[in-house]
Amino acid sequence: MRNPLGWLLLTLFSLLFFAFIYAPLAVIIGYSFNANPINMMIWDGFTLDWYRGLFGFADRTADPNSRALYVESTDQLIAALKNSLIVAAVTTSVSTVLGTATAIALARYRFRLRGFYRGFLLLPMMMPDIVLGIGLLIFFVTLGMKLSLLTIIIGHCTFLTSYVFIIVQARIAGIDPALEEASADLGASEWVTLRKVLLPQLAPGIVGGALLAFVISMDDLVITYFIAGTDSTTLPVFIFGMIRRGVKPEINAIATLLILASVLIAALGLWLRSRKIDK
Amino acid sequence: MARRRDRLVLAALLTPVTLFLGVFFLVPLLTIAVFSFLTPGLYGGVEWAFYHWNYGRIFGWADGIMEVFEPVYLRILGRSLSFAAVTVLLCLILCYPVAFWVSRLPERWRLVFLFLITLPFFSSLIVRLYAWLLILKPSGLLNEMLLGIGLIGAPLEILYTPTAVVLGMVYVMVPFMFLPLFAAVDNLDRSLIEASYDLGATRFQTFRKVILPQTLPGIVGGSVIVFIPSVGNFIVPDVLGGAKGLMAGNLVEQQFLSARNWPFGAALSMLIMSVVLIVLVTFVTRLRPKEG
Amino acid sequence: MTGLLEIRGARRSFATPEGGRIAALDGVDLDVGANEFVTLLGPSGCGKTTLLRSISGFEALDAGVIRLDGRDIGALPPFRRPVNTVFQSYALFGHMSVARNVGYALEVGGVARAERERAVTEALDKVGLAGFGARRPSQLSGGQRQRVALARAIIGRPRILLLDEPLSALDRNLRQQMQLELKTLQHNLGIAFVFVTHDQEEALTMSDRIVVMRAGRIEQQGSPRDIFRHPRTRFVAEFIGETNLFDVTVDRLEGEVAIGRTAEGLELRLPGAGLTVGRRATAVLRPADFRLAEAGLPVTITRSVYLGQDLNLFATPAPGGPEIRVTARDAADAPEVGARVHLAYDAAAVHLLEGA
Repeated sequence: MRNPLGWLLLTLFSLLFFAFIYAPLAVIIGYSFNANPINMMIWDGFTLDWYRGLFGFADRTADPNSRALYVESTDQLIAALKNSLIVAAVTTSVSTVLGTATAIALARYRFRLRGFYRGFLLLPMMMPDIVLGIGLLIFFVTLGMKLSLLTIIIGHCTFLTSYVFIIVQARIAGIDPALEEASADLGASEWVTLRKVLLPQLAPGIVGGALLAFVISMDDLVITYFIAGTDSTTLPVFIFGMIRRGVKPEINAIATLLILASVLIAALGLWLRSRKIDK
Repeated sequence: MARRRDRLVLAALLTPVTLFLGVFFLVPLLTIAVFSFLTPGLYGGVEWAFYHWNYGRIFGWADGIMEVFEPVYLRILGRSLSFAAVTVLLCLILCYPVAFWVSRLPERWRLVFLFLITLPFFSSLIVRLYAWLLILKPSGLLNEMLLGIGLIGAPLEILYTPTAVVLGMVYVMVPFMFLPLFAAVDNLDRSLIEASYDLGATRFQTFRKVILPQTLPGIVGGSVIVFIPSVGNFIVPDVLGGAKGLMAGNLVEQQFLSARNWPFGAALSMLIMSVVLIVLVTFVTRLRPKEG
Repeated sequence: MTGLLEIRGARRSFATPEGGRIAALDGVDLDVGANEFVTLLGPSGCGKTTLLRSISGFEALDAGVIRLDGRDIGALPPFRRPVNTVFQSYALFGHMSVARNVGYALEVGGVARAERERAVTEALDKVGLAGFGARRPSQLSGGQRQRVALARAIIGRPRILLLDEPLSALDRNLRQQMQLELKTLQHNLGIAFVFVTHDQEEALTMSDRIVVMRAGRIEQQGSPRDIFRHPRTRFVAEFIGETNLFDVTVDRLEGEVAIGRTAEGLELRLPGAGLTVGRRATAVLRPADFRLAEAGLPVTITRSVYLGQDLNLFATPAPGGPEIRVTARDAADAPEVGARVHLAYDAAAVHLLEGA
């Protein structure tokens, strides 16, 4: 770069930027090991108590009342986690199928409503979460539907289909349409061509889209908050509730574990993308 | 192609999505619109009668009996817009230089830092906001540090102020601004910049006349992607904002879950939706063609 | 001709962005025999690719009928037609091995694995890629990929093989080599090839019959020699090989020979049959029809282009006169620019275009 001083300043700025981004995460991870339960700023020594409390093996010397609360919370926590996983799994499957089908339709066929569909598919992504959440809430209640995991799944699918669509669409744009023609030319019907030629070629895009959908679904708070029933909490909503009730050290432990999980998923995504798939 | 087979395949591919989004996306939005004109029932719920006082309450034509005009709603809506705008601006200021820096790095480092930027945003939003809660509260890390150094005498009241809300939103929105900006900066034609210097322009002039216009699509795109979720944001002000940081999203949440005045909440949602649609339409019709 | 493929009255048009319609095919009749190498030749936009794709089923005709072995296949989707295509981009399946690519038609057709493997080996042999089965397309060179595309298309024993400018991505030497190989392959396989190209040299080299197309219509078809020696229209004359065209009016008749005059006053000897004084005609003389001689048309050399073995000479009888192309051997006595020479030619060899 032209200006060494300018480059130095830019580097400094950027490193501060990265510090800004990672500071909060570092703080949580640090605190989760801090033995001081009251004032987290004072380092009292390393401990795994909070993690143990999470899994129900709380210190016997702790206040029996609060211990009861956290044993309960552990069950609720596990239930919330299970719900999140179920919702994410189903949502990912459905939205991946819908998003991929739409991407293929818009890329390979010319029809009058093509531009309209492109906008239509992007709209859910652009709507603020709260509008979608409210709309679905009113919709379900007016129809008399009970709020449950199913309603959450439906809610997630509405906007996650858009995400999958964008990613698969980008991938399919780089695939030579002559491949599918060649397949048909050699005797394969549409379904066989899809199975043997198009889907394998699309695989990186589909997997990428599915991974993204899974992560976003696991993390969704606002929409879920409005359309979850009382017995169908997901993990983010549960944590949100805990925070609202007050700051507790166990939250740090949960948060750290979540950070760890997200790092693993991000690494997984990176690894998948680095595997070479022949065009 | 007009062939019948093709039509069947196309229908098979598109029908599920059309039905699903039509029923579970369009209809709910329409429902909000309808509800915004309904009468709130006395104990929550609705009565199916036309009632325009929901909007009246927001804009000033209250009926004076059941509904009173309070300018607070307009103020909060205005605040949402301004917070969102400030968030966009701050995100731009933060991300633009870093985008340049990353795009000038050697290839291997580029990938590393790109990964590093996106990594935190794989972790839960609520976790990241919670962290800021810990940092910004009166007994939090920031204050402890500043007090410890001796920079301040008493703890700063940052939490539960507009500053905290904007800070939180900026933190959350940074990746949405960074990626489009980076794409634009990365695609800069270096030879144009060289040519500009060659012709005698200063660094600032080159920035203003060459770099800025070239990266404008990325700037506009990133701004739109940041502005829209910021306007309707509810989580950040809920965790970090308190009473002074109330935004439109919190209002809506209150109406639906505490006050149980669904029509009013629907009316507020309609306003948020309108802002979003205006921004989107402006972007698509007027700003996008610039991308050539 | 055993009438393997019959196309009658093919028409296809597209809507333009401005709102009009453009005719890609404007009433085309074509016959292809069972063992023929037919080339569709023409500039871009002439409809040759559209015609090819209507045979394979990727373009639907607005009007007209396509019959294969007497059966109307117009309503059949591509995967049901006994016709295979070699695509311009080869369209190899990157996620499959070469062997699986080649055997694809059989895999899709439910052929048993053992039989499939045998057929794949045989097909790879035929295109000179024996032993390449385990490789991936990304590991192959352009020429090798082309052969895989070929093997893949012939394994299913189609009645007709369609080739859409398959050699355009290859360098010159490789292209010439492949031209010979394709010709040999077609002969050995005994199936009809319909070959699309815009390269007239390629067409001349390989074809049994050339179909020259322009603006959605067939201008002329015939054997390569026929097309070259006896072009019927100005377009065909100019498209195939280098040529000199002279618009003349018959001035007088001298026995078997007619003398025609161009607007610039140049006089040419033409075959007199059927000509009358005052008749207008266009004479076609190839550069190789002229010889440098002691007597003949007096010209001055204006340009000389070196081709290696030969020289492409441009000569003109008078300043501002028509520029005549002549081919001459590059020898010690080859004329320089500015030299005055004489061009001799055989009047009987002059070809006249139909019509004025």
